[in-house]
Amino acid sequence: MAHTALAGRSADLARLGSVEFAFPTQVDVRVDRGSVFGFPEHPNTWARAGDREVLWLGPDEWLVVAGSEEALDVVADLEASLAGMHRSVVDVSANRAVIELAGAGRLELLSSACPIDLDPRSWTEGRCAQTLFGAAQVLLQERQADTRLFVRPSFANYVVDLLLAGVER
Amino acid sequence: MTARRLPSGGSTIDRSRPISFTFDGAEVPAFEGDTIASALLANDVVGGFRSPILGRPRGLFSAGTEEPNAFVEISEPWFEPIVAATMVDVVDGMAVRSRPGVGRLRASPESRPLEHRHAHVELLVVGSGHDGFYPARDAAGRGERVMLVDQHRTIQRGAGGDFVAEGVTYLTRTTALGLYDEGYATVLERAAELDRLWHVRAKRVILATGAFERSIAFADNDRPGVMLAYASWLYHVEHGVVPGSRAVLFTARGGAYGAASNLAANGVEIPAIVDVGMTDPDADLIDDAEVLRGWVVSGTGGDHRLEAVHLEGPDGERRTLECDVLLVSGGWDPNLALWRAIGGGVRFDDDVHAFVPTEGPPWLSVVGAAAGEVTNDAPFWFVPAEDTSRHFVDFQRDQTVADIADALGTGLRSIEHVKRATYIGTAIDQGRTSGVLTAAIVNAMLGEHAGAQGPSNARPPSVPVAYATLAGRFRGDLFDPIRTTPLHAWHVEHGAVFEDVGQWKRPRFFPRAGESMDRAVERECLTVRNAVGAMDASTLGKIDVVGPDAPAFLDSMYTNRMSNLAVGSMRYGLMLGLDGLVLDDGVAMRLAEDRYLVTTTTGNAAIVLDRFEEWLQTEWPELRVYCTSVTEQWAVVAINGPLARDVVDAVGTDVDLSREAFPLMTFRDGQAVGVPARIARVSFSGELAYELHVAGWHGPLVWDAVMAAGQAFGIEPYGTEAMHVLRAEKGYVIVGQDTDGSVTPADLGMDWIVNPSKGDFIGKRSLRRADLVRPDRKQLVGLLPQDADAVLPEGAQLVLDEAAEIPMALAGHVTSSYRSPALGRAFALAMLEGGHAMHGRTVFAPLRDRVLACTVTSPVSYDADGARRDG
Repeated sequence: MAHTALAGRSADLARLGSVEFAFPTQVDVRVDRGSVFGFPEHPNTWARAGDREVLWLGPDEWLVVAGSEEALDVVADLEASLAGMHRSVVDVSANRAVIELAGAGRLELLSSACPIDLDPRSWTEGRCAQTLFGAAQVLLQERQADTRLFVRPSFANYVVDLLLAGVER
Repeated sequence: MTARRLPSGGSTIDRSRPISFTFDGAEVPAFEGDTIASALLANDVVGGFRSPILGRPRGLFSAGTEEPNAFVEISEPWFEPIVAATMVDVVDGMAVRSRPGVGRLRASPESRPLEHRHAHVELLVVGSGHDGFYPARDAAGRGERVMLVDQHRTIQRGAGGDFVAEGVTYLTRTTALGLYDEGYATVLERAAELDRLWHVRAKRVILATGAFERSIAFADNDRPGVMLAYASWLYHVEHGVVPGSRAVLFTARGGAYGAASNLAANGVEIPAIVDVGMTDPDADLIDDAEVLRGWVVSGTGGDHRLEAVHLEGPDGERRTLECDVLLVSGGWDPNLALWRAIGGGVRFDDDVHAFVPTEGPPWLSVVGAAAGEVTNDAPFWFVPAEDTSRHFVDFQRDQTVADIADALGTGLRSIEHVKRATYIGTAIDQGRTSGVLTAAIVNAMLGEHAGAQGPSNARPPSVPVAYATLAGRFRGDLFDPIRTTPLHAWHVEHGAVFEDVGQWKRPRFFPRAGESMDRAVERECLTVRNAVGAMDASTLGKIDVVGPDAPAFLDSMYTNRMSNLAVGSMRYGLMLGLDGLVLDDGVAMRLAEDRYLVTTTTGNAAIVLDRFEEWLQTEWPELRVYCTSVTEQWAVVAINGPLARDVVDAVGTDVDLSREAFPLMTFRDGQAVGVPARIARVSFSGELAYELHVAGWHGPLVWDAVMAAGQAFGIEPYGTEAMHVLRAEKGYVIVGQDTDGSVTPADLGMDWIVNPSKGDFIGKRSLRRADLVRPDRKQLVGLLPQDADAVLPEGAQLVLDEAAEIPMALAGHVTSSYRSPALGRAFALAMLEGGHAMHGRTVFAPLRDRVLACTVTSPVSYDADGARRDG
């Protein structure tokens, strides 16, 4: 049975109003002209592509996120649609743990250790950003009812502990 | 009747809520809303403080952040090593001690609860008086996000009214600690329940920081009972307290008369107003108060507090007046500390007789009194006297007019030099009452115009702030991230002793009950040499490199050729800096014609990826190569030992493990334990070895399967220490341990990995520099201590002649040193001058208590012909 870095922290996550999105499909895409393929072109935004979500990571880099065990399909689809182009398509599904933070106070909680503008007036659904939470690199994605926090699994427990410190003051 | 609380009045106190605290052990009653200072004054505790250097009695001098005397340590209900008594609200049961200007930390780290918060606003306003409040309100009205901070307990303008505007974050008891480039500000909020350090990014910042009342230097001007005039007004209005029963005013400014008349109206006797200038009073003259125009206060008398003032008239006449309070006002100085610390300019304005702001950063503006909207009469800085050695300028540094004269007497001219010679302005009050005064005295003594030199610069933080507050929650286990691998829980359960490798926790060894580290490592080494062991190698950095130019790119990054590597094969590589010195090592696997996976050392994963990106983006943008970090995509289980093949076979895989089908330095993609796995035949121990690379979340499953299947073969987990011993026996270097940034491949005896015929690579040109080809460079050797049980300390220096006189000529140093269970003796790796030509010779390691003689050998001390690697 597979085992994520946050297995065993579900009670802690529940106290944060969060759940882990375990075993997601994540595929990192690098290609020069992503906009051609309907990828979000505007920096720090994400868009839906069917039941997949595509997050802008850089001028030539995106992260495609889908449900569990779709990595082979996603990689195959991307390789097919980008065929003939110089590209990188890499399955990074296990390269980041994903926490889904819900609740009205989540952005304020993140602001305790995240320097970017998370004011709800500017940080709205459809935004994403690579930034820091404490000393951990994270990728934040603002969705309709939650904020997804992507973090390298080795940092996942640090991030949860730092979030808990924020609610336990 | 002395300093006391009046029967009524006090805008900030709640007389229905009496509380109390202790000051230096004595109980002091107070009201909710009192500061420590106002409560002390209400109980006639005017002094009680000591100056830090001379030990002179000192008392409350101000009512605000400029306080230079009244510093306290708070020990209950939270700990704070040092803070101005004027800046802390009394909490019932609080325990306070006076501190002479220097705080003491406690061993235990407890403090108030604290947190950090980041905020982004269009406008940050510091100071909520009239001049700060209205710009804040107007900006909020335009829909901007506004933060308004004030160090007082209430918003100063509109308190109690309809001042709350949508979009304004009001922070009271809050101090801006510092302004930084582009509107970044740190702001300390002392909320009731916790301290909160705000990191504010503001598009614009307005400073409405007001002005500080200026002191005057005269003999014994530091006696308790001497107080800034406006402070007496504040204590009365805010706390209903008057500072004494009989007060004299010494002023250079007509505007200070009001402070005296305010006290007079509240029952304080005012025998005289000593007005050094011919000023225009702002208040009606007080009945009975004699106005002594052109007079000065030439000294004070009293024991531990003021009992009398000595006056001197314009014609030299002298008088002494009894009093218990002396109010002082030299004028107003705009509070420009934050402005100047970020580079704002100042000039001396001859109309207002004060330093006022000039040009500053475009996002920053100053308004109101801070901008120079103050009213001063002709300034008067210090009372001339033959002896100025008790004319105090900086109370916290116990520095006087005479000290400034001394500094100038040594030839110093710059205010910054005077500051460093006298330490004026360097105490925790940052010279708020002494900075301008010092500048004026320096200018006067040098015969210059009053504004020739401005006050010395101020720097953040503007008020003392505890390191604990700056640390926030980033302390203890959260001080720095603790990175763990997918197998960490297993290691913890099985008693691993961890070592820190960068931010990672890696198992160093797995002791059995009662087993010492040496015994455990020896057991782990022998298990790998004689049976089989398993190690968590997940921390190795991993980078996916893809594109048509990936082979050429890697040929440029590594010293050897990667372009002719067959798909399915892997190759060890060294990476050099432009200086030709070893930077990192790793293994490249060729996954496809246009795709590699390269590994890096644990500590260099991010550095190597950054380096790849830097060269691709800045030097060779024409190369079609993309790099992606996949370090944590993969958990890696390394299985080493003569029985490794049996274990992998027993784990269950569809990969043909036979020696013929699966040779050393190749890898196969398949399955293990039913999950996708990449199996690689690569060995860092010299034994037959396999690495299982699986998705991180399959790591625990595969590790458990390896340990279970391996049980029949005697498998044991081993840690980094055994790994180090095993690789050292084989002479394999660890970059960063055996190398130190000064080592070439040839120094390591690794010329074989440098391929000069393949074209250019980073560092190639430098390898031909004369210094890098000297035959007497330090070179990697093995050392066998002639006392076989003597393990050399790593870092020990080596000499050729043990009898030479000190200082001896040093010939090298030990880089790795262990006891080898396989060799049955101690051994070491070392960098030794000309070492490659010295095999068989004896060198010496002089230690504190003995000299160890060592025989120089090849770095490879075990299985030199590589017979064991295929099992």
